[in-house]
Amino acid sequence: MNAGSSVGLIPVIVTQVEDVSPGVRLLRLSPEDGHYLPGFSGGSHITVGIDLDGDIHLRNAYSLMSSPYDTSHYEIAVRRMDSGRGGSRFMHRLREGDRLGVSSPVNLFPIQIHGKLHIFVAGGIGITPLFPQLEELERAGAAFEAHVSCRTSEDATLAHRLSGRFGSNINIRYTSETGRQDFAAILSRRPLGSHVYICGPSAMIADVRSTARALGWSNSHVHYEQFVEQKTGKAFDLKLARSGLTLRVPAQVSPLEVLEANGISIPYLCRGGACGQCETRILQSDCGIEHNDVWLSESVKACNSHFMPCISRADGGVLVIDL
Amino acid sequence: MLITGIKSRPVYDRLTPFPEALLHLVVGQGSGGTAMSRLIAEIAPGADIEVMYSTESFTGQNHLAALKDAAPGRFDWFASNAALSQALHDRLSQAFMGTRLYLAGSESFIGLAMKVARQFDLNADEVLREHCGSLVRRVWCVHCDTYSENITQRVFSCSGCGKPLVVRDHYSRLMGAFMGVQGDAEVPGELPEASELDT
Repeated sequence: MNAGSSVGLIPVIVTQVEDVSPGVRLLRLSPEDGHYLPGFSGGSHITVGIDLDGDIHLRNAYSLMSSPYDTSHYEIAVRRMDSGRGGSRFMHRLREGDRLGVSSPVNLFPIQIHGKLHIFVAGGIGITPLFPQLEELERAGAAFEAHVSCRTSEDATLAHRLSGRFGSNINIRYTSETGRQDFAAILSRRPLGSHVYICGPSAMIADVRSTARALGWSNSHVHYEQFVEQKTGKAFDLKLARSGLTLRVPAQVSPLEVLEANGISIPYLCRGGACGQCETRILQSDCGIEHNDVWLSESVKACNSHFMPCISRADGGVLVIDL
Repeated sequence: MLITGIKSRPVYDRLTPFPEALLHLVVGQGSGGTAMSRLIAEIAPGADIEVMYSTESFTGQNHLAALKDAAPGRFDWFASNAALSQALHDRLSQAFMGTRLYLAGSESFIGLAMKVARQFDLNADEVLREHCGSLVRRVWCVHCDTYSENITQRVFSCSGCGKPLVVRDHYSRLMGAFMGVQGDAEVPGELPEASELDT
């Protein structure tokens, strides 16, 4: 195992690599010891430790798309982001036999098992959590349907697999040919006790949420998950007041990833500035803070008293935090 | 075995309109009628409102005439809470997302209606409950699955199996009632002292 990004992670081996559509690669990850990986429920994601040149250690989150009833391996789908930090390009260079570290699964997008009808709206790579989620619902005998948007038929390999597996409950739409889904038609006059699950680009999530609200859906029946792309920024120094350590945060690495690479574990779940687990107090700063989260209130962000190390950063200088 | 304070007892709301609702379903019993009339007057004119009322009452309160006048749309009334709960089930099974439910009445009635609402996965952001009238308890027998209504004594005889039940201060949201457990299961005949319930 490499040091760095994989500290505290579960060692796995890449046992299968498959390019399913332009820029999308499936990876099968099997435990190094040949036993079983931790169990999970549909909608869970794992984080993968990524070591780049120049001592850069990242962790990216990917939804699990393999069966929750077979934990002899995990399967994830990675879309290559040519403009990103380099994490997805690293994942696309992996070959069978390569070793990685992955976290235990976390579920921030679970099925609401008491629902009467489960409606999924997915776009692009957001289709991945549907595989285990629909399998769970199928076993439970629950009613479900999925509305999947793909740009072209060339991008629809995973959607076709989903419909091959779950049949007529899957409705595929090619947005480059027929435009976007009619969300109001999907959400109008649905039986009481329905739930909608949205996974896709942020514009799709915003559209479906506002359509649901306008149609009288209450928040407790609207669920969504979005993996935000980590923004790169300027390098800065992170000083930990309690331990006296000073760590360098490179431009494309988050403060949380730097802490983890140095063996310092703090609570986290979403790694996207939404769940609030990693909230940390700022003691002193000689720089601006880029608050990229949706967790802290605008007033807290304005006075720079706290920040979310999973997604937010300083724009240079030294940031002293209460750790 | 008995706990004081009753943390599990539901905290009830005051009925106020959900502005985003497509259908307001106003449902109540007995002394809940006043809260229902008050709510109906507060809902924006022209909104879709349906009213269901049961005249069954422990304290004899009947607001049927006033509610009939207040209800702007469909109005149904029932002679018993059981009949109302069956009708509520039938109505909810035909309802769509965007429906909001308002419940007003005794704790027994609210527990009965919530059990129906839960079958349709209605959550706290879709149901409001206003308690009206006395806090006599509805008790569910853990042995025979029978509900006994309007219980005021700590120890009573189950209306289903006849076992001497002790009423626990544990309100089950799932069952919509307080739990009743045989009081002399360990030593037959040895029961806790009879006492008035903290209702």
